[in-house]
Order: sequence, then C-alpha cells, then structure tokens
Amino acid sequence: MNHGADTIAAGAATGRRVTFVRVVIITLVLGGWEALSLSGWLFRDVVPSLTAIARAIGRLLANADFYSNLGITVGEIGVGLLIGGICGLATGILLGANRFLSRAYESLIYYLGPTPKIIFFPVMIMWFGVGSGSKIAMGVVSCFFPIAISAASGMRQIDRVLILVGRSFRATTWQMVSKIYLPAMREPVVNGVRLGLGVAIIGTLLAETKLSNRGMGYLIIQAYSTFDMPRMYALLIVLFVLSIGANAVIGRFGGAGMRKA
Amino acid sequence: MMVEPSRLSGAATEVIDSRDSRLLDVDRVSKRFVTSEGPITAVDDVSFSIAPGEFVSIIGPSGCGKSTLFNIVGGLVGDYEGRVTVAGDTIRGTHPAIGMVFQEESTFPWRTVVENVAFPLEIAGMSKQDRIERAEHFVAMVGLRGFERRYPAELSGGMRQRVALARTLASEPRILLMDEPFAALDEQTRLLLGDRVLQIQQTLKQTTLLITHNLTEAVQLSDRVLVMTYRPGRVKRVVDIHLPHPRDSEVVSSDAFGHYVAEIWHDLREEASRGIRDDESRVLEGRPRR
Amino acid sequence: MSGARIRGWIKSRVGARLIGAASALALIGLVELAIRAGMINRFIVPLPSEILTAIPRIIVEENVLHRFWQTMQEMLWASLLLAGVGILLGAVLHRFRIMRLACETWVGALAAAPIVLMYPLFLVIFGRSATTIVMIGFAAGLAPVILKTLEGLAGTRRVLLDVGRSFKLTSWQQFWKILLPAALPSVFVGLKLGLIFAMINIVGVEFLINFGGLGQLINELAERYDLPGTYGAICFVILTSVVFFATAERLERFLRPGE
Repeated sequence: MNHGADTIAAGAATGRRVTFVRVVIITLVLGGWEALSLSGWLFRDVVPSLTAIARAIGRLLANADFYSNLGITVGEIGVGLLIGGICGLATGILLGANRFLSRAYESLIYYLGPTPKIIFFPVMIMWFGVGSGSKIAMGVVSCFFPIAISAASGMRQIDRVLILVGRSFRATTWQMVSKIYLPAMREPVVNGVRLGLGVAIIGTLLAETKLSNRGMGYLIIQAYSTFDMPRMYALLIVLFVLSIGANAVIGRFGGAGMRKA
Repeated sequence: MMVEPSRLSGAATEVIDSRDSRLLDVDRVSKRFVTSEGPITAVDDVSFSIAPGEFVSIIGPSGCGKSTLFNIVGGLVGDYEGRVTVAGDTIRGTHPAIGMVFQEESTFPWRTVVENVAFPLEIAGMSKQDRIERAEHFVAMVGLRGFERRYPAELSGGMRQRVALARTLASEPRILLMDEPFAALDEQTRLLLGDRVLQIQQTLKQTTLLITHNLTEAVQLSDRVLVMTYRPGRVKRVVDIHLPHPRDSEVVSSDAFGHYVAEIWHDLREEASRGIRDDESRVLEGRPRR
Repeated sequence: MSGARIRGWIKSRVGARLIGAASALALIGLVELAIRAGMINRFIVPLPSEILTAIPRIIVEENVLHRFWQTMQEMLWASLLLAGVGILLGAVLHRFRIMRLACETWVGALAAAPIVLMYPLFLVIFGRSATTIVMIGFAAGLAPVILKTLEGLAGTRRVLLDVGRSFKLTSWQQFWKILLPAALPSVFVGLKLGLIFAMINIVGVEFLINFGGLGQLINELAERYDLPGTYGAICFVILTSVVFFATAERLERFLRPGE
C-alpha cells in the first residue's frame, strides 16, 4: 500500500493543473484587454493597449520624480502607522487588561472603527495644515482603530494562566507587557497591523488625491486631470503591487517564529 | 502532630507544635464569595502550618475550596479573613518565598524549554549567560536534559508540566505550592512523575504544599495529608504518613500504603458524596451549575 | 449604599458604560470651556455648542434627508450587486475546485488591496455620476463576500453531503437544499463585511468627487468654511455609520444565535 507516494504524486499533479489554469486565466484577461483596446469599442484611451501601459510603467520607474513622490508617500504612511500603531497598541492593551475601561470605552472605538475616515480630512487640514502633516494625521486616525481593537481582543484571548505565572514570579508591569502580553498576542496584533497598514495606505493616499502637490496620490490625480490614462494605469499597478507586497511581508513576519502549543 | 476534633464546630484544629518551627502558617483563614445564589463560604476557618522540609498535601472533593486556598496562600487572591505568614512575614499579594505550579498548561509557547525555565531568573535581572546555565541545571533535574532548545509544542503534556515545575524550582522558593499539577496526566505517568518530584523534594529539602484530589498521589508523596470537607471547606482530618523515606512508587503496593489510603478515603468519601448530591439537587432545582 | 456595592455598580456593564459616556461628555464640556477661554483657537475648533445647533440647521437648510436617501440608494444598488455577483462567484469557485485553488489567494490579495484608489479611473469610465460611486462600493466590498461564501460552502460538514448523496440528490439539489442553507451564516457575515466596506468607500468617494449624498455635504460645507456645519455634518455621518454598523451586528446575531 503506497498511499504516501500516491498522495504526493496527486498533489504535484494538482499543483501543475493550478498553475496551468492560472496561466490560462491571465492570458485570457490580458488577451481580452488588448482586444478591447484595439477594437476601440470603449473610447480608446480608457483601455490603452498593453504596450502603452508597459511603456508607461517603464517611464515611471525610470523617472527620479516618481521615486521622490513615492518616498514622500511611503514616509507619510510610515510615520502615520508608527504613531497610530503605538497609540493603538497601548490603548488596546489598556482596554484588554482592565475590564472597567473596556466596558466604558471599547464600544466607542469598536463603533467608530468602520466609519469613513476621509470625512475627517477637512478637520485635519485645519489642525495640521495642507502639507504632509494632515496626510500623516489621516494615516494615524485610520490605522488607530483596527490596531486598538485587535490588541484589546488579543489581550483577552491570552491564556489566563500565563498571566498568573507572570504574577507568581512578581514581574513588573513592563516585564509583564514585554515578556508575556506582547509575545502571547503576536498573531492577532500582526493581523491588526496588516489591516491598519491597509487602511493607512487608503487614508493617506486619498488625502493626497484630495489636496496635495506631492506624493503618489497627487501623481494619480495629475494623470487624471491630464487624461494620461496609460500613466494612471501604471501608477495604480505599481501602487497595488507595493500594497499587496507590504501586506504579505507583514503577514510573514507574524507567522514565523511562533509555535502554538 | 496531635489532632483534636473540636466538639463545637466538628472541625479538626491543630494543637500548636512545641517546636514552633513553622515556615508556612495559615491562621483561621476564611473566604466568602458573593454569587448569583447569594453568599457562599468557600473556605471556613482553616488553620494549619508546615515545617521546613515537610511535604504536605491537601486533599478534598471538588468544591471544597482547595483551589481557593491555593490562590490565597499564593497571594493571588486578597480580601479574606485570617492570616497567612511565611517565615513570620504576612502575605500581602504574591510573595517571593512562594513558588507556584499551576494546574493548567502554563509554559510559554513562544519560548524554548530552557528559556521558559530561565524566566524567573530573567525577571530577577540575572545576566543571560548565568541564567541559561542555572536553568539548564533545573532542566536536568526534572529529567529533560537534551530538550533545552525544544518548544513546548513539541513536548508531551507530562514533559510540559515538568518544564513548569523546573521553572518554579529555578526561582528557588522556600515553599513550593502546587495545584493539581498532574491532573491532566494518566495514572502511570503520574506515578512516575510523582517519584521524580519526591526525589527532587528530598534532595532539595523543599518545603512543599500540594493540592490534589488524587488519594494515591497524596499518600505516595506526603508527610502529612489534610482532608477537607465539601463546601464550606474546613480541615476535617489530618493524617500523618509514616512511610519510610526514601520512597518510590513501589510503595503503592505495601500494606501500610493501603491502610493510609483507606483511612483517608473513609473521610473523603463522605465529602465526595455530599458534593455529588449537591450537583444532582442543583439540576433538579434548576439552580446554576457550580 | 455601601462602598462595595457602589464599586460593584461602577464595574458593572451598565455603570461602566454610563461613566464612559459621561466622561466623554465631560471632555466635550472641557473643550467648550477651553475654546471660550481662548485656549483653543475657535477658527480651528468651533464651539461644541455651536456644532450642536448647526445640526438642526443643516438638516433643514441642506436637505439632509434627501442626501441621506441618495447615499442609501447608492448603498442599495451596491448591495444588490454584491449579493448577486459576489455569492455567484463564490459558488462558482466552490463548484469548480480547480478554480478555487487557482483563484482564492488572488481574491484574498484583492481584499487587502486599496481598491478605492482607483476612483479616478472609475471617474473616467463612468463619469462623475452615481454609477461611479456604486461601482466603487461594489468593487471594494466584493472580495469579502466571495471569500466568505466560499468559506461557508467549503465548510459544510462532510456528513451532511453524505446524507444528500445517500438520498441520490442531483448536484443542483445538493447545492440548493444542503450547501447553500449550510453556508448561509457565513454568507451573511460576508455580506455584512462587504456592505460595511462598501459604505465606507461610498461616503468617502462622495466626499472626494463632491457628488452624491452625505459625503458631498461634508465637502460642500468645508469648502464654504462653515466650520460648525462641517463638524456637524461629520458627526451626522458618523452617527449614520454607527447605526448602520450596529444594525448589521444585531442582524448577524439574530441570524446566528449562539455565535
């Protein structure tokens, strides 16, 4: 009975079939796109040819201007995530640790979470000006909520006994946080940070599209106003690749080095 | 140690030992809780003391307040009547002289075995090299030499409890307090682990208080066994175990062992029955489960 | 009341909630005082009392109900699209196992992607209209609906399918009578998530392109430098969002008791 070898062989065959299907799908999509572009059915500029898009991507990546704008956006998102992340984490830990605080304030954060943060932008402009400050503020406001919520629930799902162990060895508060709470809730917190990164990207970029003269969002709106469609597609593609990549990297960081009992 | 059943309360109280060498002294401790059914008394006027190097077990049916006692002596629970002192020092919150081993899985899943055992030393601020070295000594003591770099997820339940034990021993507590640490293990593993624990205890002359519901374990390991009543928990009876040291698990087959077990079961059985009857009447009367 | 009972009440759910709400109100009161005292610039933060009085004003002057209805209409269309297309795609992916294996990770990546940033593109395609807004709402909410539908269908307990096979049900019957009902709780969770994403993006895009309902209201008031009005409109939108979300939660708990 050689079930082991059979299953392995079957697994490899499925893997090949999956790759085949993916290639087919991608080919169909790209082919359909090119056909649509060439037919002129939608007005041509809305669906530029693949070569036009490819060239636009090339021009984009070769242009120093692009990188300086990218750097600004990445910087804004980074600072926003850092500030919002630390505040969110601290708030979440506090709420998760103390039942009174949780009952008093957690619903507030939970229900404010799913509101569209971009509507706060006019207020952010008034408080922080029209420059990077308001964009960073948008990032902070966006990512604070998912991180705080996941930190709070992460705290609560920590095995009670691990906290008792810390107390029985008389660990200080800081030791409890750094040696027990944080390692124990690594996975939910990382998921919260992934979500936070996603909404921080959205918040910062939307703010840039609304009112800015620098950054990726600005480049996108500029392409829109000059009706340079290939360039807009190029920008969006690069943006999406970077976002999905960043998300995957954080996810990898959360999975490795943590063994569950 | 003499025992005189008090005719007034029906509980056993201890006559003060003339040696007066009490490392742990539990003095008239009572704990009441307010539940949906009204106030219940978990522990009622319990007093006992432990001399240095002694191994004492507290045995009782579930619901007799022994876990509450564990939490009180360990300093995890306040707000009770009475007093607990360690070497004359009153307990107010967790005390460095008391080391606790919990019933549930308590190893840190994100740390290796040796990192787990080194935890109390890390808290105390010992340097990395020193504490790893020290921890390795205790890892070997519980028989897990060679497993230092493994993660708890890779070990069996019994091995994980040994890690927890090593971790507490590493903090070199004057009193080792254990709450049914082997409850989740099968009988055979328990007996063998019990051997090892006893060996360690005798080598270190570690004063130990064990909370258990297991008769065999209590008699196998202890110098003295305190039998608790079902709620409210009082000390019903104290049994001195005069089995010779060094003991190993072979002792379970001896006649003397059988006598002690019978003696304890005689009192325990009554309390356990009361517990079962209470459970049944709860269902019938629609009261909430314990 | 004794000290212990007071403490007990404070710690209870009701007590803590009230104290939380009261402290929030107290904070607002402090802000009011600080602004009146000149410590905070009233051209950056208007008086909370002014914001409060601005709300009825904008409700009347700005035809808030009409705008609210506009946003709701966009939501409705987006929901229909989400339910129809999302569940269908989820079912298709489940039916053809190879498709699921090939596409599931892609849909997952899509869920993490900032779809709303494509709004300038949608503007070009659909013009500055409600269609753009609906489409973005739909696109933003699609991924969770597909994923949760898939999860629900795939998570049907094996034994239920075996029961169906023992009664010789056709694939079609198997789907309608066993798979779909079993997957329904998960599907609803997916729809709830999708609708929440959709709403966030719909209001957001209304604000950005200055078209539509509530989002546009905020934008207009901000451009007019009507500070109390802007803050008031923001509060109003938050309230709407909270009510929407809370209703969705209630519905979910009603449909999945014991979860």
